[in-house]
Amino acid sequence: MSVTVTSAAKAPLSERLNNQLAGYGFLLPWLIGFFVLTLGPAVSSLYFSLTDFSLMGSPNWVGTENYFRIATDDPRFWTAMNVTFTFVLLSVPLKLMFALAVAVALDKGLRGLNWFRAIFYLPSLIGGSVAIAVLWRQIFAGDGVLNQVLAALFGYEGPSWISNPSTALYTLVMLAVWQFGSSMIIFLAGLRQIPQDMYEAASIDGASRQRQFFKITLPLLTPVIFFNGVILTIEAFKAFTAAFVISDGSGGPIDSTLFYTLYLYQEAFTNFRFGYASALAWVLVVIIAIFTALSFISAKYWVHYDD
Amino acid sequence: MTTLALNKIEKRYGATEVIRGVDLKIDSGEFIVFVGPSGCGKSTLLRMIAGLEPISGGELQIGGERVNHKAASERGIAMVFQSYALYPHMSVYKNMSFGLETAKMPTAEIDARVRQAAEILQITQLLDRKPKQLSGGQRQRVAIGRAIVRDPKIFLFDEPLSNLDAELRVQTRVEIAKLHADIGATMIYVTHDQVEAMTLADRIVVLRAGEIEQFGTPLEIYNKPANKFVAGFIGSPKMNFFDVTVTRQQAGTTTLGLAGTNIVVPKIDTTVDAKLCLGIRPEHITNDAKDGVALADLTVTHVEHLGGQTIVYGRMADGQSINVTLDGQRTVHPKDTLKVGATLDNCHFFDAAGQRLG
Amino acid sequence: MTDATHKSAFDAARGAGDTKKPSLIGRTLIYCGLVVVSFIMLYPLLWMVSSSLKPENEIFSTTSLIPQNFTLEAYRRGWNGLSVSFGWMFFNSLVISVLVVIGNLISCSMAAYAFTRLKFKGRGFWFALMLGTMMMPQHAVLIPQYLMFLKFGWVNTILPLVVPKFFAIDAFFIFLMVQFFRGIPRDLDEAAVMDGAGPLRIFLKIILPLSMPVLATAAVFSFIWTWDDFFAPLIYLNDIEKYTAQLGLRTFVDATAQSDWGALLAMSTLTVLPIFVLFVLFQRLLIEGIATTGMKR
Ligand SMILES: Nc1ncnc2c1ncn2[C@@H]1O[C@H](COP(=O)(O)OP(=O)(O)O)[C@@H](O)[C@H]1O
Ligand SMILES: [Mg+2]
Repeated sequence: MSVTVTSAAKAPLSERLNNQLAGYGFLLPWLIGFFVLTLGPAVSSLYFSLTDFSLMGSPNWVGTENYFRIATDDPRFWTAMNVTFTFVLLSVPLKLMFALAVAVALDKGLRGLNWFRAIFYLPSLIGGSVAIAVLWRQIFAGDGVLNQVLAALFGYEGPSWISNPSTALYTLVMLAVWQFGSSMIIFLAGLRQIPQDMYEAASIDGASRQRQFFKITLPLLTPVIFFNGVILTIEAFKAFTAAFVISDGSGGPIDSTLFYTLYLYQEAFTNFRFGYASALAWVLVVIIAIFTALSFISAKYWVHYDD
Repeated sequence: MTTLALNKIEKRYGATEVIRGVDLKIDSGEFIVFVGPSGCGKSTLLRMIAGLEPISGGELQIGGERVNHKAASERGIAMVFQSYALYPHMSVYKNMSFGLETAKMPTAEIDARVRQAAEILQITQLLDRKPKQLSGGQRQRVAIGRAIVRDPKIFLFDEPLSNLDAELRVQTRVEIAKLHADIGATMIYVTHDQVEAMTLADRIVVLRAGEIEQFGTPLEIYNKPANKFVAGFIGSPKMNFFDVTVTRQQAGTTTLGLAGTNIVVPKIDTTVDAKLCLGIRPEHITNDAKDGVALADLTVTHVEHLGGQTIVYGRMADGQSINVTLDGQRTVHPKDTLKVGATLDNCHFFDAAGQRLG
Repeated sequence: MTDATHKSAFDAARGAGDTKKPSLIGRTLIYCGLVVVSFIMLYPLLWMVSSSLKPENEIFSTTSLIPQNFTLEAYRRGWNGLSVSFGWMFFNSLVISVLVVIGNLISCSMAAYAFTRLKFKGRGFWFALMLGTMMMPQHAVLIPQYLMFLKFGWVNTILPLVVPKFFAIDAFFIFLMVQFFRGIPRDLDEAAVMDGAGPLRIFLKIILPLSMPVLATAAVFSFIWTWDDFFAPLIYLNDIEKYTAQLGLRTFVDATAQSDWGALLAMSTLTVLPIFVLFVLFQRLLIEGIATTGMKR
């Protein structure tokens, strides 16, 4: 492009303009959306985060005070961090492991693959809905299904898992893990792309099944594991609906399911502290960005690329 | 008159020059073949003529008019793609009528044109099918049909036969030649296959690395290749090249040393001790010692019997390899020694830079 | 048409799979494992459906999945359990979801076409920005968006839920379509250019008709995700007449204070039902959609 262009090369203005017009014409809706609904709001919320903006009055500049308060003087922020990180660090690896294990089991060329695949996928398709949160709440309630089953099988009288602060979060982790299906689908597609003849060559070389798994399958699957891991982590940081429904929007019992997004929601739309909530939002953006960046940096050391 | 003229046409992608100043004048109704090794810029040149690729420099004229910036569809050109590029979701009929509909032609005329083209190509019974339901050869015809209906002045073909099997390739080649004879439009045909080039072309353009190496009729190119590259590219099996040294310059003759043998040929404009290249096509080397030049004896290393011909691979005393295509079935065995020679007018001489001498 | 342009990740020829196939015992064990896991996975859903069909007193008295006294009573109670019938809320959800599908299909396919097929200055730059927005959590733009819609007088209408989708705000779908469009041979565009077609005609007559699989995938995902969405309606819709089914269900949880589990589970079942139907109808499409986005980043 930067090479000097002879006069013969210059298309007439109308032609060059037409190309630009067509391109920007088709891109116009997205461009408007980007500026009006993404970039503009992002800039304003960054500004809000530096003000004391609330429903009560117009924004007054307070500098970094909101951020300072988040870091030093907000125990609920740290609770939310604790809850969210626990959730992310438990649910993502568990989900990955489940997804991978089931995908590998399904990839054995067995019959009925399509059925199993569909069954395992279904929860991740509907898992985000309120209905499932309601269902979860029922299952883990004191008189819920889980305790009925436990009582019937072992005669064990379980507590209310939902209203117990030390177990409530784990029911949400289980809900997340229950939705491993879409990651499994991606793993399955990844497994399909590993050339069959690699296994044939390996078994001729006398490699055992375990060895084939650890020396062929796993390394060749690392790009997919990486992709799934990043997506799931971002998703997990943003988890909201289930915690909201199960705790009636409170993050209870005693803030044990106070997900970051839930706290953010409360600050913004219950307490109407727009400035402070904006600061919280940007902290989340930065946390996700750092996590993503770290993943990409670490990928150099463990993700196997062909080229 | 739809003459086509390329004046110093250039194409650059960023800093890499892909076409370097191509000059070409093509007469109305000619069948021109661009031939050259893969990656030499044939498709790029064709696509610039078509209007699919912007021209970086130079001028393109169709019928005397500069068309560098004319839209592809307004150049009076139709193109048959290597992949055929049939619209997969449209019937054969729709594939052929799409361009005419775009041009807002009356339906009755569209129908007439499509049916006529289908008639010519004998695909009338396929008009309602989708491309998926066609064989390779049939798809090829539809692609040509799509070009015909637009009644273009110039047809462009980009390696149209490369996706067909050998037998169909020969058959379609003949049909394209017939089509050209019937409709008389100018055709430009790109291929890397020199047999297609030789059989189809009125004139051949041999390209290498974005430059024209030679432009002429098939026989001109076969008989008088302008340089070593063209000599080697056209003809199969490939021309033999021998390193020779000029040992003596006399009035009227030049003596060359080849593997210990002296060859006396009519005077070549060169100097004593110059290293030259002597090129002789395998089919022009014989072992019936008659007139012409006697070459150094060859020791046979390998023999291929094709029935009609016998191809002998061998080495000369100094190790240079030599291939000979002999007519008929010969009893030749490896390790045999063969006396071979060729007539003078079948000997080509190239200087150190590969340019033809004489 | 599909196979010409889009090679599914699952159609990639897999031989008999002989080298991978475990022994008979191994296979049996894997089958048993899969069946057990499937059952555990499905149990909550089965329980939900079966409980919704039982009389209230039977729900907790037995763990059996088969209702002994089959009744639709819970559905009747639930349907009219709030001051506004659930039917109305289903209608609201349907309207919003359909509009979102339309908006996403139009705007995202246009953007994807520009990104893959048109040449203009700054294309790479905008494309990178678009990918960037995919990573960005919506929370960062939530409050200003809310205030903007408040200023427009759009809060407590469906506009904030629908209008943004006409501006290609769901970058994921652009990405999905970009992946697909890239697989459509460029020769087809060029043939159309030779046929005199301009960008709009190529888009409408060549690209879109060949993209039915990805458009269908985007439509179904779009519908399901909008149907399931809870956060946006929670923020923007205040009056119960405007509620979506998800909001209604959540209000129902509060209103019944967990006293009427039958009705709650019946309504839960109903809100999941449309998704389940779409899942059954378009299972293959959905699974391939997921697989492709994962594979060809
Ligand atoms: N878009 C492009 N950008 C950079 N180089 C290109 C591009 N298209 C083609 N080329 C280069 O131009 C040369 C000629 O290509 P092409 O005309 O397709 O060759 P041919 O058809 O003779 O095989 C090749 O070396 C190719 O690598
Ligand atoms: Mg080519």
